[in-house]
Amino acid sequence: MKIPAFFILIGLVLLPPVLASAGPLQDKDCGSCHRLGDSEKKNSGPDLHYAGNKFQAKWLKQFLQNPEVIRPAGVSTAPGFLQGSSGNPHPSFAEKEASALSDSLMGLKVSGLTLEPVTTEPLSKGKRAKIKYQFERTFSCISCHQSLNLAGKVRGGISGPSLINAGNRLQADWVVNWLNTPEVYTSKSRMPRYKMDSATQIQFTQFLMTLKKENMNRRAAGGK
Amino acid sequence: MKRNYKNLLATITTVLLGMVACGQNDNEQVALKPPTQQEVKRVQPQTQQPEPAQVTENTRQTYQWYCAQCHGIEGKGNGINAKFLTVPPRNHTKGDYLETRTDEQLFEAIKFGGLSVGRAPCMPAWGHTLDEDTIHSMVRYIRELCQCEAL
Repeated sequence: MKIPAFFILIGLVLLPPVLASAGPLQDKDCGSCHRLGDSEKKNSGPDLHYAGNKFQAKWLKQFLQNPEVIRPAGVSTAPGFLQGSSGNPHPSFAEKEASALSDSLMGLKVSGLTLEPVTTEPLSKGKRAKIKYQFERTFSCISCHQSLNLAGKVRGGISGPSLINAGNRLQADWVVNWLNTPEVYTSKSRMPRYKMDSATQIQFTQFLMTLKKENMNRRAAGGK
Repeated sequence: MKRNYKNLLATITTVLLGMVACGQNDNEQVALKPPTQQEVKRVQPQTQQPEPAQVTENTRQTYQWYCAQCHGIEGKGNGINAKFLTVPPRNHTKGDYLETRTDEQLFEAIKFGGLSVGRAPCMPAWGHTLDEDTIHSMVRYIRELCQCEAL
């Protein structure tokens, strides 16, 4: 009699943490495609174990209700990536579910990481033109990332995540940190490493934060 | 005493003349004598010549991971980004252009980007991503793809 009682006691001690970890992300089985923790690796969806560092909560909630294509060629670690297979479309969720999922995702952060706040004051027209030049020619970012040209038209390659809505999607301080130390987030990216000075990183980030879907010229982009 | 002094002086003079003559003779002998096998080994450079870069499995994987995004899986210039670029990526299977480029030019294009060699800015600099040995092996891989060498 004493032995079963011991196991029940152990079970009662261990059960609450297990129940606490089960949340909206587990309910929706997000972990079957996305990496949600520090150790596990998944190939079919982007890593989300640093979602709270990377995304803006408002965008995340909207995305989960109305998913948009961010990686037109699919996830770079997926087997069909180089064949241009974009993978399965992301499921959409009702507002309440999206809100709960967003809250959970914003709680996923790299442990011990403190990001320096970056001011995202608008760039002057001249500085924006200068950084746009660097974005396209000096660092060749446009070869892999879609962005908006000065007329609001979509331009650029598709192997990297689209940046046409980066200003609504990403946190500025994360962008700077990614440019500086991508190895914090991924062991191997398909993006080249750059040695940018701090001022250029910040200006680059300020430029990216000006890229917003609402600035897209839909007529010029061929949209309706 | 005087005779002894004269004898000593004559002896020293003879010895000195003999030393100079021996030295000259020795030099002539070294110059005329073919070097021995040991001497040949001794004059060889201590440091080995660098091995020519080899294409390894790592080279091919690196090409697939980074370059194939634009240059395509088979290097035909038809990667997933190709149709969105203002300048088409180089077809690495065609030798007619690549044979006009030296290995050094290909190395620089990879390391410092297209603009550094007067080509398209679409090609980024990989010098902070790939080490020089890897870039040399990528050059060899491109030579393998085009089945060509610099003219």
